[in-house]
Amino acid sequence: MLQYLVILLDDTSASFCHYHVTKSTPRLMPLDTLKRGIRFGMIENLMIQFIYPNHALPQEYLEVIDTIDHSDIKPLAGDNADADIIVTDNWESDVSKLRDAVVVLRTCWAQFREHYSQLNNWLAVAKRLNVVVTDVERLNDDDREQYKAILETLSKEVEKLYVEGKSPQFNLLTDRMVLTEMNNCNAGDTTITLAPDGKFYICPAFYYDGENQSVGDLDNGLDIKNRQLYSLDHAPICRKCDAWQCRRCVWLNRKTTLEVNTPGHEQCVAAHLERNASRDLMLSLRSRGTFLPDKEEIKELTYLDPFEIATQWN
Amino acid sequence: MKNNQIKPNKIRENASPWQGGIAKSITFIVTKDCQLACKYCYLVGKNEKERMKWPVAKAAIDYILSHEEMFPEASVTWDFIGGEPFLEIDLIDQICDYLKTEMFRLNHHWFNSYRFSFSTNGINYHTDKVQAFIKKNITHLSIGITIDGTRAKHDLNRIWKGDAQPERGSYDDVVRNIPLWLEQFPNAGTKVTISSADIPYICESVLHLYSLGIHEVNINCVFEDVWQEGDDKRFEDQLMQLADAIIDGGYYANYACSFFSEYIGKPLDPVNENQNWCGAGKMLSIDAAGNFYPCTRFAAYSLREKRPIIIGNVRDGIDKNKLRPFLTLDRMTQSPDKCKTCEVASGCAWCQGENYDAAATPTIYQRATAICLMHKARVRANNYYWNKLYRKLELEGSREDFEKNKPQVKPIDC
Repeated sequence: MLQYLVILLDDTSASFCHYHVTKSTPRLMPLDTLKRGIRFGMIENLMIQFIYPNHALPQEYLEVIDTIDHSDIKPLAGDNADADIIVTDNWESDVSKLRDAVVVLRTCWAQFREHYSQLNNWLAVAKRLNVVVTDVERLNDDDREQYKAILETLSKEVEKLYVEGKSPQFNLLTDRMVLTEMNNCNAGDTTITLAPDGKFYICPAFYYDGENQSVGDLDNGLDIKNRQLYSLDHAPICRKCDAWQCRRCVWLNRKTTLEVNTPGHEQCVAAHLERNASRDLMLSLRSRGTFLPDKEEIKELTYLDPFEIATQWN
Repeated sequence: MKNNQIKPNKIRENASPWQGGIAKSITFIVTKDCQLACKYCYLVGKNEKERMKWPVAKAAIDYILSHEEMFPEASVTWDFIGGEPFLEIDLIDQICDYLKTEMFRLNHHWFNSYRFSFSTNGINYHTDKVQAFIKKNITHLSIGITIDGTRAKHDLNRIWKGDAQPERGSYDDVVRNIPLWLEQFPNAGTKVTISSADIPYICESVLHLYSLGIHEVNINCVFEDVWQEGDDKRFEDQLMQLADAIIDGGYYANYACSFFSEYIGKPLDPVNENQNWCGAGKMLSIDAAGNFYPCTRFAAYSLREKRPIIIGNVRDGIDKNKLRPFLTLDRMTQSPDKCKTCEVASGCAWCQGENYDAAATPTIYQRATAICLMHKARVRANNYYWNKLYRKLELEGSREDFEKNKPQVKPIDC
């Protein structure tokens, strides 16, 4: 059931996920389209998330946006006052501007590997930090070992924050500890995107992919064919998985396996390394005293990719 | 010619539950050309240009045999398909010689546990080159010749390529080779395909094939959405006639027809009988360009509406991510609700390639159901067949004997 409507206010609205913004020329969503998009969200009872570009919006846009309860996802590089979520892909960002903010840091693997030690500073100030490794699908076996080691290092830093009495929220390490079920992106299932062209897309990534992959428009409504494939119960690998913090990116799925409901090996491995690091962190914190007593222990697994045990399922 | 009778080496059973006891099937699409232009052929992109060259075939073999860990199946079927594969008999001979040499040289676990398999239109079967190949590989060979039944049924669809009018059927060109084929492969079966226009000829065609000495008739309806209103009733009537003819004529003791099976027409358990039907993804096909496919049906020349699904090539190898959807696909996830709750679900087949081609989005997870009414008609006739046959056998006191010795059929559904 749909719950969220993402509205890209401009062709250059900031990416907050794996995809890259492939359009470089600013083009605002027509004001009438914005109004109709908001009306659609109201009629369908959807929570609206506006995605902002770097450049400032005209006052009339801000007034229209303010006609509905919503969330604002804004780039750090632009005017991000009152943002609910701030996104950046710049490791050199001034972290003092991120105090108590919910932050999305987009980074390629190479940069993550190089700069991850800076995350201490980000974690210390941000209310919540989501790190998105944008090219996670390219992680090879060597990278895997390195990612594991990096997560162990970061885990020690997170543990220190807990010991200091803080409650850091870091998607790669703390989400899995508090979750009790899958908590994924859910594009196409609970979330849909309206692009500046007035058409709906499964998520912004499908808009920027270049081919016409719309799933309806404001004139004719939503038309998501094979919609069931975006739900967890139609994802044979994911529905058996307990890496609940996994983004389960349907766009990456389609890119790597050609099916929106099937993750590639690399996405599964990365998610399991995070899951396992969360397990170790949880055990370590519990060794210091009571920690999340209402949450079950994360089980030890013998695999990093649930596909490896797929033979036991059928 | 008696010396040429084939006793193929027994294919070892695979113990792996994932592979379900099957051998690995590796298909060389050696040509996309064929002498015929069969009206029901799903190969919409046949042409005379895309012929596999030796360097591509060799590269494919080298890749496959040098990655033994990726192919753990105990046995292998090296399959050759077209178009018409025997148009490329020189290349095939070269491939098979190289395969044998390399499997031996590498001490590969498939050595002496392999089979060369062909589905041919039979037109070139008698030629010197094909016969020489058969004699050379006789102990590791299975060949199926497609003959659709009576001249009327066969020539309805299986016509020569070209614009000649009237259309020229191929029945005479095929049937002349049947005696030689059966002499060399006495246990061979043929594959018959049923489309809408073929329905009136089903009964007489199966009986005709029996009369030619073919004891195993693998017959199936096409999966494509070709069916007309009332076809299911006409189909059922034909199968009822066929059931009467087989039982009353006593053919059931020595002949088999895949339409009749004791295992079809039952509900399927959503958990314990959730396996995928089709072997796409567990198989491997290679085309003239050196591209790998999960099955031949995913190559461009097989697809009407969709892009091909290429899972790698002879240079870069197999992209395992592209195989994951195929290898985790199950019956329930791809089926619509009417199939999940169907009371006669068992035996209802599907073709993953046709599912993909007919799907509303580029997915293999949307089961095509064009065959639904035909399956239900088959189930009704099948019920009639077994009720009639077992009553007859019980009255004769021969049921137990029949159960022990009944002929088996290996269904071929694609």
